[in-house]
Amino acid sequence: MTTLVVARWTVTEAVSRRLVLAAILLSAAFVGLFALAFSILYPKAQAEPDAEGIFAVFAATLLTVLGLYAVQFLAAFLALLLSAGAISGEVESGTLHAVLARPLGRGQYLLGRWIASVAMLTVYVVVMAGSLLLVARLVAGYQPVDPVRAVALLMLETVLLFTAGLLGSTFLPTLANAVVLFSLFGLAWLAGIVEFIGQTVANQTLSNLGVAVSLVFPSDAVWRAASYYLQPPAFLGEAVTRGGIPFAALTPPTTALLLWSLAYPVATLLLALRTFARRDL
Amino acid sequence: MRKAYGQQVALDDVTLRVEPGEVFGFLGPNGAGKTTAVKILTGLVHAGDGEARVLGRPVGEPAARRRIGYLPEHFRFQDWATGTALLDFHARLAGLPAGQRAARIAEVLELVGLAGRGHQRIRTYSKGMAQRIGLAQALLGRPELVLLDEPTSALDPVGRREVRDLIGWLREQGVTVFLNSHLLSEVELVCDRVAIIDRGRIVRTGRLADLVGSASAVRVALDRVDQPLLDALARHGRVQSVDGGSVTLVVDDPDVAPAVADCVVRAGYRLFELVPVQRSLEEVFLGLVHGGDR
Repeated sequence: MTTLVVARWTVTEAVSRRLVLAAILLSAAFVGLFALAFSILYPKAQAEPDAEGIFAVFAATLLTVLGLYAVQFLAAFLALLLSAGAISGEVESGTLHAVLARPLGRGQYLLGRWIASVAMLTVYVVVMAGSLLLVARLVAGYQPVDPVRAVALLMLETVLLFTAGLLGSTFLPTLANAVVLFSLFGLAWLAGIVEFIGQTVANQTLSNLGVAVSLVFPSDAVWRAASYYLQPPAFLGEAVTRGGIPFAALTPPTTALLLWSLAYPVATLLLALRTFARRDL
Repeated sequence: MRKAYGQQVALDDVTLRVEPGEVFGFLGPNGAGKTTAVKILTGLVHAGDGEARVLGRPVGEPAARRRIGYLPEHFRFQDWATGTALLDFHARLAGLPAGQRAARIAEVLELVGLAGRGHQRIRTYSKGMAQRIGLAQALLGRPELVLLDEPTSALDPVGRREVRDLIGWLREQGVTVFLNSHLLSEVELVCDRVAIIDRGRIVRTGRLADLVGSASAVRVALDRVDQPLLDALARHGRVQSVDGGSVTLVVDDPDVAPAVADCVVRAGYRLFELVPVQRSLEEVFLGLVHGGDR
């Protein structure tokens, strides 16, 4: 009950600070731009002379995956920015003291913040990814392998990033936490590229390096898992021999990766509860 | 209780007891450990070695905070919210029943002089208004114990006066008040009992009247002041200050005044004035707090 009071307060804060309004306006602009570009480019690709009819599929896939790749970045940045100062910011400004002197546990407060933020991020990811997939479907009849799984994995990535940021904000100052988070996110992104190159040139060391970083911070690995389900089967069949998109996977995610990516936010949330409970404010 | 942050000791063997219904002043210079003590009582800082109980419950338990009102130092609140929204949030956290919330919020806004200003965002509040909304927040849950951490340090004289009146009102309501302050005049005017803390240690605890009355002094004004006179006076007490022809002598018992008069007159000095002086809280405080290392 108290947790929900904190969750409601967190949503009120996002609305009052015009965060929600800004997100809605910019998202609408983004989806509009994507729809415009897609409707202009796709008919041109269709008009190209192409014996196998695969060129249009490639064009639609590339546009859609690129669009969702951008959505992934936007959602990731939103998650990191929301989480970087979620606790530390309130500690630094001193606004948390009066709140925590109320008869609520630190865990209830932290969970309330988590629930509200994750709910808002989830709505964002579902609306944005859903809109883009809908545009692709309406214009090009685009049929990905499994759109529900893809969106669910995008949500998981966002939750994973937010929870990692929340953990950091329970013991690091906001700025330090933001630096750590963006560095890890960037490192994971780079590792994904390194892993892709390793697989392309069949270099085991590069592949292992990529996997190792994904274990430490699996944000890019989860995006790659999502990306597999975003591509249509026709494209994946061709791409295995012709080469795929550097930032999208050609094979479905392993069970081990999925389990690890699910365990990661759970573990970081538990750790965050623990460090926050022990902290002197 | 003892509390250390790494090597730095914030509270060193502090033992305190505050009785229900009293206004208790916790006095000390900045950095003496006052805020740490209040934060332990509100569960914001973990108790180190030792034990603390609030309203019969160990600190740290959320239930111990059910009947507490707390005004943190600097009274910073979520400035994007309106006054009413902030109080509504706190009312929900305090567990006020839904049917009573709106009425209680209006009541405390009235009490702190913010009636009709609740719809404004806290961002637009003046410092004095922010402090009032903080007090409203502290009083919201009809607390049995109110902890005020430097409630007037940022206020103008009118604001200070209003806080004093409010503390007096709380006393009438039977509410226990724990007041952290370095403003001695404020404590002198409202507190029943005080503890003086310096560098994490309690150096004096007692009723205000006893503390102020316990150490007295006599001031003598003479035609001249020289070393033989000071030596003679030193037999009756401790010479605290010499100002021209006037000497202040700290004595254990104000009843030595006639003996002092007798002594200076016999020694051939002309006595113009002999005044028993009750030491102010400030003098007691400065004597205790700076005594060690100056």
